[in-house]
Amino acid sequence: MRDAIARALEAATSAGASYADARVVESMHERLSVRTGRVEGIESGESLGIGIRVIAAGAWGFAATADLSAHGVHAAAAEAVALARAAATTARAPVALSPVAAYRDTWTGPCEINPFTIATEDKLAILLAADEAMRAEAAVRVSSASLDFLHVRKVFGSSEGSLIEQAYTESQAGIVAYAIGDGEMLPRSYPNSHGGQAVQGGWEAILALDLTGNAPRVGEQAAALLSAAPCPAETTTVIIDGSQIALQVHESIGHPTELDRVLGDEAAFAGTSFLSLDDIDTFRYGSEHVTVTADATVPGSLGSFGYDDEGVPAQRDFLVVGGVLSSFQSSRESAPVIGRTSNGCMRADGWNRQPLVRMTTVSLEPGTWDFDDLIANTESGIYLETNNSWSIDDKRLNFQFACEIGWEIRNGALGRMIKNPNYTGITPTFWGSCDAVCSTDHWQVWGIPNCGKGEPMQVAHVAHGAAPARFRDVRVGVGR
Amino acid sequence: MRYSVENARILAERAAHATHADAAEVVVTSASSALTRFANNRIHQNVAESDTRLSIRAVLGTRTGVASTNRHDNDAITRCAAAAVEAARHAPEDPDFGGLPEAAPIAAASRVSATTAGYDADRRAEAAAAIIGQSSARGFVAAGTIATSDYAVAVANTGGVSAAMEADDLRATVLSTGLHGGSGWASYLGSDAASFSPSALGGRAATTAERSEHPASLDPGVYTVVLAPEAVSDLLDFLGYLGFGAKSFAEGGSFLTEAIGTSLVDERISIYDDALSPGTIGLLFDFEGQPKRRTPLIAGGVAVGPVTDSYYARKLGLPNTGHALPAPNPYGPMPLNLELAAGDSTEAEMIASVDRGIYVTRFHYVNVEDPMKVVLTGMTRDGTFLIENGALTTPVRNLRFTQDVLAALSHVGAIGSQRALVGPGEGGATLAPALLLERWEFTGQTG
Repeated sequence: MRDAIARALEAATSAGASYADARVVESMHERLSVRTGRVEGIESGESLGIGIRVIAAGAWGFAATADLSAHGVHAAAAEAVALARAAATTARAPVALSPVAAYRDTWTGPCEINPFTIATEDKLAILLAADEAMRAEAAVRVSSASLDFLHVRKVFGSSEGSLIEQAYTESQAGIVAYAIGDGEMLPRSYPNSHGGQAVQGGWEAILALDLTGNAPRVGEQAAALLSAAPCPAETTTVIIDGSQIALQVHESIGHPTELDRVLGDEAAFAGTSFLSLDDIDTFRYGSEHVTVTADATVPGSLGSFGYDDEGVPAQRDFLVVGGVLSSFQSSRESAPVIGRTSNGCMRADGWNRQPLVRMTTVSLEPGTWDFDDLIANTESGIYLETNNSWSIDDKRLNFQFACEIGWEIRNGALGRMIKNPNYTGITPTFWGSCDAVCSTDHWQVWGIPNCGKGEPMQVAHVAHGAAPARFRDVRVGVGR
Repeated sequence: MRYSVENARILAERAAHATHADAAEVVVTSASSALTRFANNRIHQNVAESDTRLSIRAVLGTRTGVASTNRHDNDAITRCAAAAVEAARHAPEDPDFGGLPEAAPIAAASRVSATTAGYDADRRAEAAAAIIGQSSARGFVAAGTIATSDYAVAVANTGGVSAAMEADDLRATVLSTGLHGGSGWASYLGSDAASFSPSALGGRAATTAERSEHPASLDPGVYTVVLAPEAVSDLLDFLGYLGFGAKSFAEGGSFLTEAIGTSLVDERISIYDDALSPGTIGLLFDFEGQPKRRTPLIAGGVAVGPVTDSYYARKLGLPNTGHALPAPNPYGPMPLNLELAAGDSTEAEMIASVDRGIYVTRFHYVNVEDPMKVVLTGMTRDGTFLIENGALTTPVRNLRFTQDVLAALSHVGAIGSQRALVGPGEGGATLAPALLLERWEFTGQTG
């Protein structure tokens, strides 16, 4: 891998690049899935290749190939330089990068038990048992359970002298029960929807989830949803569980504080941001209860690393402090625009993608409330759990989320179950209505391994720390 | 560089026969792609990649396992085959699995265009400059992409299936952003770059941006809408994802499940999947090497049936329509070339027929709130206008909708006579006309 890096950097600079970096990424994955009693797939895969990024004639070029032979690497490096020269024909100013030291280092993510060494029978046994337990309820006509494992080893080198080798393992698991009846299909998931919970870690993380132990409850709740009350259409108080807060942070704070979006680089696809460069330290993003960090050093988080894919060290930065915007997530190219150096947010989806500004672990910092006290302190409203659907406009202002399940709150206690609850709002108004965040006892990091951005599409693995939080005057039951 | 179609076929056949199992199937996908991305009136990303992936499905009795790699030396293929066999060895028996499909005749075809193949970095940069010029001349800002994809796909199995073809496509998009809240969108997708005019595309977007400056607020509510093809394609894609596949149909989670033979939507609505259509792009066979067939899904408003692959065709007792995705496939068979049958109205005639309504250029970030009723929510974007007395009048700020799509398709005012090819490229696309729908519920607005 290191030889290929050296060849790529030499070839790129010889071809005229004023800057070059190269990443060799080797990955392997395994996925097992069970659906309604049937083993739907046992699949594994591997991938190896190199991505070469250059600045030539003042513009970016990027070429990637799976051919790691000397010829293949040289051809890719030459192509990257040619692409940069073509891009330069429309350039108005040469690309300038904020400084970073040359690092020669290694970093490894946590993993106690290598999941790739666990017998397939043991993995299937957990999935089949959980899947069956959910279907103890007759109304659960479809059930699913899945495990996903990923191991990545990558080497980054730059023409500025960095040479960084990193490795990490990710493990993910989840179960879903679908109750079907009367023209409705209602899902109930554990520990989260959309594939479950994902962490940097090994088999120990899967065991800790106790999928089988939670499956009966999941099935029971799915079945109960069929006869639950519909979500009322009203404006009310909502308390939102940590997993949904994580996605709310992701969509309405994480994405709009990506500096490339603010600058318009994602305008035609993912969109821009309602924020502007001069909003730092002045814009009221939310209430005083809203403090948000971007932290690439959280142990076991999908958003953690030693160095980003530009060779910038992992950092912890404050995006929002006491409700006021304080920073953006940035890259070496974008950070100088706000007079700063990169806070290390550039990551690529594999060897064949150019790094983009991506979230690390973007978290709503914990407050002081105990969850039971928060419910008891709420006279009326709705408690919402687990995302079912998400949508937000191209500036990240107008959002609408649906959850799997809700409960009425009446006189400080949870009441009857609500099916298909949803809520909508405008980002700063919504965060401005936050009057309570639960404490560290209720705070956890949720992995989100499906964050799409960029063209060609890249899927990033990011994470968000969150605890249940309360919001006032929120519109629920939209279109219900 | 990508494999030639014959080399892809040879690699697939070699790997299939190197797999020590009762049967084996190999999919080889070899692609070279390039994408020029521009924003703020300059190219900011210019990327290219080449890769060849090989995926092996091993069969032991009725047990299957899958492994994949992007390495092609003998050791890697042997290791990949062994991993697939090992996975199959641990899988339980699946009584619904009837074995790999047999060879079926496939029309010999190449969907490679010399004009698209010649769209290199310099041509893409020239095209970007031409698009940008249409916006910058108005003082506007352009962003978008020009992407080419050139690929060969081969599917072989030990039972004699050997299907291979090559194809390419060119996709371009442009968002033009005005000075006072206006924005406009235009896109191109096709397999013949000769029909792609960058300046015309850039001009369309910039003209819409110009026209949508100073957007006004509008109260949410139920409106008549004219949806441009790009917006209609979103609705078709979600119908396909949620209900037109045999897996959701078999599980009882599709709107088709209880509706076969009954009237589901307006009788003027006919939806097909047809990879053979000369107007579309993509493969003529599926990832089991079976020929794709023109498959009616809704005909004259009546639910017909889902698309299938070999597994679900056997399970449901239906014909195999040739819609398998690469194994293992958590989605089941999927339609990748949906089309809504054209009507007889021009977009101008639709607008002229509306007293008060809304014109939607495209939607943004559409997602599902109820999969069986196909209740979707999403935003409008890049050209939303009030229609008054038969004409586009005031541009309006982006609106959020929350709408039961099947209900909306039950109140069709008119269907466009011209269809546009819309999609992400890389093998899938939707042929969509404009639609006039009499009732569409907007539930919110930005700003």
